[in-house]
Amino acid sequence: MFNRRDFVKGGVALVSIGTTAQSLLKGSVAFAAQHPNDVLAKNNGKILVLVQMAGGNDGLNTLPPIGDAAYRSARKIIGVADDAILPLEGGYGLHPNLSGLKTLWGEGRLAVVRGVGYPQQDYSHFKSMAIWQAGDPELKLQDGWLGRTLEKMESEQHDPFKGFNIGTSTPPEMRIASIPIPSVNDPADYNFAVGVRSATGTDPRTATLMKLYEQYPAASPYGVLLETTVENAVTSAKQLAEVAKTYVPAVVYPETSFASGLSVLAEAIVGNLGMRVGHVTLGGFDTHSGQVEDHDRLMTTLDEGLTAFYRDLAAHGKADDVLVLTWSEFGRRVQENASGGSDHGSASVMFALGNGVQKGLYGDAPSLSKLIDNGNLSFTTDFRSVYATVMERWLGVPSEAILGKNWDQVGFIRAA
Amino acid sequence: MREGPHDGLIWSLQMEDSQPPGLRQEWLARRSTRRALLAGGAAVAAAGTAAVVVGVAARDTSPAGATATPAGGPASQAATQAAAETPRLARVMPEPRRRAAHLLRRAGFGGTAAQIDEFAGLSREDAADRLLNYETIDNSALDARLAAATFDPIRPGDNVRWWYTRLLYTARPLEERMTFLWHGLLTSQVSKIGPQRSKLMLAQNQLFRTHALGKFDDLLQAVSKDPAMLVYLDTVDSTKEHPNENYARELMELFSMGVGNYTEDDIREAARAFTGWRITNPDRPARPVEGLSEEERRKLLDEVWRSYEPKFIVNQRLHDSGSKTFLGRTGNFGGEEIVSIILEQPATGRYITARLFSEFAYPDPDQETVDRLVKVWDESAHSIKAVVREILTSDEFYSERAYRSLVRCPVTFLVNAVRGLEIGDDLRPNMFNDKYIKGMDQVLFEPPNVAGWPGRATWLSSGTFFARVNFLDQFLMGQRARPLRLPALDGATTPETLVDRALSIFVDGNVPAASRQSIIDYAATLSNPQQRASAVAYLALASPEYQLI
Repeated sequence: MFNRRDFVKGGVALVSIGTTAQSLLKGSVAFAAQHPNDVLAKNNGKILVLVQMAGGNDGLNTLPPIGDAAYRSARKIIGVADDAILPLEGGYGLHPNLSGLKTLWGEGRLAVVRGVGYPQQDYSHFKSMAIWQAGDPELKLQDGWLGRTLEKMESEQHDPFKGFNIGTSTPPEMRIASIPIPSVNDPADYNFAVGVRSATGTDPRTATLMKLYEQYPAASPYGVLLETTVENAVTSAKQLAEVAKTYVPAVVYPETSFASGLSVLAEAIVGNLGMRVGHVTLGGFDTHSGQVEDHDRLMTTLDEGLTAFYRDLAAHGKADDVLVLTWSEFGRRVQENASGGSDHGSASVMFALGNGVQKGLYGDAPSLSKLIDNGNLSFTTDFRSVYATVMERWLGVPSEAILGKNWDQVGFIRAA
Repeated sequence: MREGPHDGLIWSLQMEDSQPPGLRQEWLARRSTRRALLAGGAAVAAAGTAAVVVGVAARDTSPAGATATPAGGPASQAATQAAAETPRLARVMPEPRRRAAHLLRRAGFGGTAAQIDEFAGLSREDAADRLLNYETIDNSALDARLAAATFDPIRPGDNVRWWYTRLLYTARPLEERMTFLWHGLLTSQVSKIGPQRSKLMLAQNQLFRTHALGKFDDLLQAVSKDPAMLVYLDTVDSTKEHPNENYARELMELFSMGVGNYTEDDIREAARAFTGWRITNPDRPARPVEGLSEEERRKLLDEVWRSYEPKFIVNQRLHDSGSKTFLGRTGNFGGEEIVSIILEQPATGRYITARLFSEFAYPDPDQETVDRLVKVWDESAHSIKAVVREILTSDEFYSERAYRSLVRCPVTFLVNAVRGLEIGDDLRPNMFNDKYIKGMDQVLFEPPNVAGWPGRATWLSSGTFFARVNFLDQFLMGQRARPLRLPALDGATTPETLVDRALSIFVDGNVPAASRQSIIDYAATLSNPQQRASAVAYLALASPEYQLI
């Protein structure tokens, strides 16, 4: 096995830290010419933004059934009132705080996949997250599913932003050794602070530090990780600072860290930094107690953030190119608990948002009368079907090699 | 703190355009050698992040390969190679000073130059015992320092500063190291407890210190009744009618046995046993809050929280005293019996000893190693001290495989820097709560979730790299360009002695000759002694070698 980054590293491109992207050899083109059997998927310009709703989002309250007696009796405290649900179709509607998404539904930009899960649901946050992140309930596939996907995608040049994470550390689904993933929390702090500067305005201390990373032997512990991380940090910081000079958001983003993270992704997209996959996390969904207040607030944060992001991209002519996909490691138990909350559950819902989306509800809604595992929903759509759909129909990457088998696709992406 | 937005740009221009041609040639030559090396070892770059470590392990010291190696493909070449090199990796580090520094880093937060020298002269057993038998070590200087400072226990930021004060100035580093370890394993997060109740986190912290090296059984029983834990994992809301499963699940999955050793039914049954477990409420305010101004009201309530000393109680009315079947046993179990049954499980011994080993030596120990530790665990009636002593005196602990096999966590990054530089009272009090600490991704009392900090390679990302180096810049250079005084580097007057002193304290002097020379060359350009010392400390602490432990 041989990949593009090895090739670049092999000495042909000699990608030096801080080199402008424009000046770089088009490594992937040359790579493909020399390795015809491992041709990368063509860059179709499509971008995926993955939103992790961490902690186990209550899918049943995110997309509640209207006028359902079983739902009403299981959720006397935390259930969403029928008249508050924002109706979509077929007796299902959105949580009342998702009014922005309801509007986007009306514009044909939103799809919801229901009953998403996998066989033998694991009820541990960490195990279930690891399953979604690997794309494999048996956890036999190596690395993250997006990392493996990124590795199969051509990009125009050696893009430090091919995969881009908002946060402090690389999310497991994006991990792959060959591609460092920049992680940015606050762009203002994403560069070198230099307390002492020489008169010429250059910074010899930083230059010396870079030499230490250059000279650290690759065969020493963590050698490759240290070197690629730092190289990527320096290059990506420079590019992000350049783009920040010209990007003007077309909307006012809400003052949440979720929304400001989305605005940084928008900046990278609008600035044409070559991003193919972005990642941002909204946490706090583990609503074991006092769920109503917390979940209401989270729904508002999600709704306002995604709506601002979509409107901003649309105003910059990018909404055709970006698909937003949400996921959570599991939903909640159907029966509410005594703490006004809900315990770890199984199948949940995923949203897909963007101009490439075929509006609709997909996947069967799990039955509330035929429950499994002492009161949980039986999944109807395997999450790998959703992954395969995104790979095949959106990113243009063959999914079988990445997921280990062929999965039926779900129809939420419009034919090109 | 950024002086300009283009530091990266400036730097790259320098590398690309403004370096003297000779230097640039040399740089490119080194670089291509490095690239060739990488390309030659296809395994190194071909597999996953974990497998990068594997690939490296194949030729050096990192151990993650044991679990991360996939069947077939390049990584299995790496595994074969690793097997071939096992004898070298298993070799005990020959250099006494390196062994001493390694012990002080792993079982504490790094030593001063004098401490490293002192420990270099001790046998393994004496060195371990000096750290382990800390009750006899006088810690009055720390106590005096804590007494002289002001901490408001209901302010989470003050609690962070309180603990850092202990970490930085304790004479018993292993006591704090163990407290920190238990905080990362038997986690609670202050954000869920609530800032006004942050005092509960202090009590939990003290509980970890009390049981730091005691019997694990006492620790697990105590933490199950710990007020912060009872709030954090929702036990205080759990009733006979509606048991909350949160604590029962995490107790088994993360705090004792690990996944795969119990069923969902076991979780449900255990949850029943913890129903009715409660903590006492705070006192009523001294006078009615009605009619008070907002500020008076806040002051009054703050007093309530400051004086709050919650006690564990069982509300029998809410407790399910019925029969439960748990891990194959049936009885009218309460929470204590559930914890006792868990403690009898072989899985618990394996899980906890392997975890302790992974924290101190290297991740994913071999089967034989765990077997040996479990024997000590069983024979010592689950003594944490006995297991830690076995680890700290083992060949594995001092092996080449252990050396630099872990990524340094931010707390150790910071504490080792301050202790190694022997900084006294000169620190900015707000440095423990600044944005760079958050950016490095580790805030005390606030692990990311109930599984604690994932650690290992996750500490390293482009974002955390900038946070680390920028933390150093602010810490060493100060906010008004008045560099911090660095007593440990006093008296090193030439660039060579200064650089060698710093590298010796922080990275065992074990860096490539070219790296040592790069720092010396830069230090020689600085004429102000304080600026020179700060710059050298910055480079030693920002170096790739210091990011490992």
